Amino acid sequence: METEQKIEETVVQETPKTSEQQSVEVRLEGLSKVFVDSTKKETKAVWDFNVVIPAGKLIGLLGPSGCGKSTTLYMIAGLHKPSGGKIFFGEDDVTFMPPEKRGIGLVFQNYALFPHLTVKQNILFPLENIRPKMPKEQMLAMAQEMAELVHIGDLMDRKPAQLSGGQQQRVAIARALVKKPKVLLLDEPLSNLDARLRLQTREEIRRIQKETGITTVFVTHDQEEAMSISDEIVVMNYGVQQQKDEPQKVYEEPVNLFVAKFLGNPPINVIDGIVENKQLKLINGQVLDHVDIEDQPVSIGIRPEFFSLDDGLKMDVYVDMVEHIGRDTMALCKIEGYENTVRAIIPSYKKLEANQLIKIGFRRYFVFNKETGERLK
Amino acid sequence: MLEYKNDIWKALLALAPTLLLMAVFTFYPIVHTVVTAFMEGYSYGVWWSNGNTIGWLDHYGETVMQSSYDSSGNLIGFTQTYVGIGFGNFTSIFKDPTFLAALKNTAIMVIVSVPITVIIGLLISVALNSIKKLQGVFQTIYFLPYVTNTIALGLVFSVLFSSRNGLINSFIEAMGGSRVAWITPFGGGNPSYFTCLFVLMVYTVWDGLAFKILVFLSGMQSIDKQYYQAAQIDSTPRWRVFTKITVPLLSPMIAYITITSFIGAFKAYSSVIAIFNGRYGPRSNPNMLITVVGYTYDKLGKMSNVNEIGRACASALVLFAIIMAITVVELWISKKKVHY
Repeated sequence: METEQKIEETVVQETPKTSEQQSVEVRLEGLSKVFVDSTKKETKAVWDFNVVIPAGKLIGLLGPSGCGKSTTLYMIAGLHKPSGGKIFFGEDDVTFMPPEKRGIGLVFQNYALFPHLTVKQNILFPLENIRPKMPKEQMLAMAQEMAELVHIGDLMDRKPAQLSGGQQQRVAIARALVKKPKVLLLDEPLSNLDARLRLQTREEIRRIQKETGITTVFVTHDQEEAMSISDEIVVMNYGVQQQKDEPQKVYEEPVNLFVAKFLGNPPINVIDGIVENKQLKLINGQVLDHVDIEDQPVSIGIRPEFFSLDDGLKMDVYVDMVEHIGRDTMALCKIEGYENTVRAIIPSYKKLEANQLIKIGFRRYFVFNKETGERLK
Repeated sequence: MLEYKNDIWKALLALAPTLLLMAVFTFYPIVHTVVTAFMEGYSYGVWWSNGNTIGWLDHYGETVMQSSYDSSGNLIGFTQTYVGIGFGNFTSIFKDPTFLAALKNTAIMVIVSVPITVIIGLLISVALNSIKKLQGVFQTIYFLPYVTNTIALGLVFSVLFSSRNGLINSFIEAMGGSRVAWITPFGGGNPSYFTCLFVLMVYTVWDGLAFKILVFLSGMQSIDKQYYQAAQIDSTPRWRVFTKITVPLLSPMIAYITITSFIGAFKAYSSVIAIFNGRYGPRSNPNMLITVVGYTYDKLGKMSNVNEIGRACASALVLFAIIMAITVVELWISKKKVHY
């Protein structure tokens, strides 16, 4: 216990030292990456991407696989050359700067720890490249300091294969941070960890980021991960930025159907509907609400937790199945005239039975344009 | 239902053809070689008879003895003879200056050619791996010696290094030097041990490169690119990337290539024959670069003395022991140095 406290103390003491490193704002202006394959077919991996990552913040790039988020990260790192647009670190245009000159630390998805080197040698590796050469003692001290920051100070003589996934992850972070980069980039940092370790490690990443105050960009397809630790998240799809905001804001006020569907677990219910004479109707004719939208077919989005039994607007549904999930009950309901079921989370004390016709209430809903997915209400 | 069946007989049936061939052409000869190496004055032959005479024909085709015998039929038996069991074959080859020369030559060839081929192979592979354009073309060029006949390549080299009209000498002359008696006499001077060894080594290295490059290159291409990206982000100098990342991660291939190269180099024979047109050296000294395998072959082929087969087996056994010992040492070292 005592030693652990000691480590904590040293970390706290060293914090000002590590955060001395000027954190820097990262700005992407119209960044694009177009891959051309052998048949001259063009794939827009990233298209006209504009984002400002404020200095010292932790930003999550979130999107389904293939949405261009990793490509964006690698462009910030300099490992991919952008097809268009610019990248700024503070005032410096780094668009065509090679990666080694940018002062970044990158943690790869599979960590890319050198398997033949010990933890210590792995963390020392970036320092040993710095010219003029640092004294050996100084390098060792920096490596030890960084190892203790990520709580692996006692594993320095192990080989990566002798470490657990979470420990390897920490070594990778230590290696990325030891040379005091201006920007830390993390590529799917938690995807190789099991569920429990993931929870622990993401808090760890948050703590390390807070202590070092380094501008951090991380890429993930896991919304929970992104929402839980980011200062802001950027949702991407097909290489295009969909929304950038604080995590809760993105969840509460999605700008379009894609964002609404991508965030939230269990996922949002999307119900086809129509607006006629300013009345929002289901396709079976039920009138739900009065809305200020022009007449058109729409998609209605209702998050499962928006439902309640008593208050709000009402909808007639048949209870199809009831799942008890501890504190709450998940009711799968059928609406007349619809194929798919609607998920509703309601408090457990409400007793429901299958095939019962109920008037289910909902407190909130989103309306999206059926064609474009754009949010109307 | 899956159930365990003891299919040993089916397995043996499937293995039988190979096992049979190996038993006849590999295992039996090995065992026989070991046994023969310890037989002093070993010889073999067949008994024959032509009706009224019986004789014993030794393996040189000479009738050793003959006596009248009244019988019919021809071939009636096969016999091996020896005068004693012991280390006589070994002591006699170690007294034979030709065998000692063969040992020395082989050792020099191994020590010179193996490190050079491995290092050059490694460097060429790194170079090939780092170029993008025409990589396939270069790979093919470097791989060509592998699919080319050793003897044909040797002929090409002996022409290249020919003293009178060889390309190398023409080049040296064009550069203002004077012709060298590489492997054939020139201007009254006979080729020296050094020039002959030089040509042989150039040829051996060239001949061995292709396979090494193939192995190294495929090994390099299987190294995760992210290691190199990680190194690049940390602004690692090229030489350090090579020594700290490529070589350690390639070490299983390097160990494999080193061990097989040692074995291959110890078995050198056809390369010498190819360069010197069927001899082990220039006309002036036909045994100049004789190797242990060459010595063994000669002892089997010349058949001038009853003891020669036993000596051939002894020399083969000595070579086997040397290769075995070196391989064990290499495996022991690689256990410490190789990162699997």
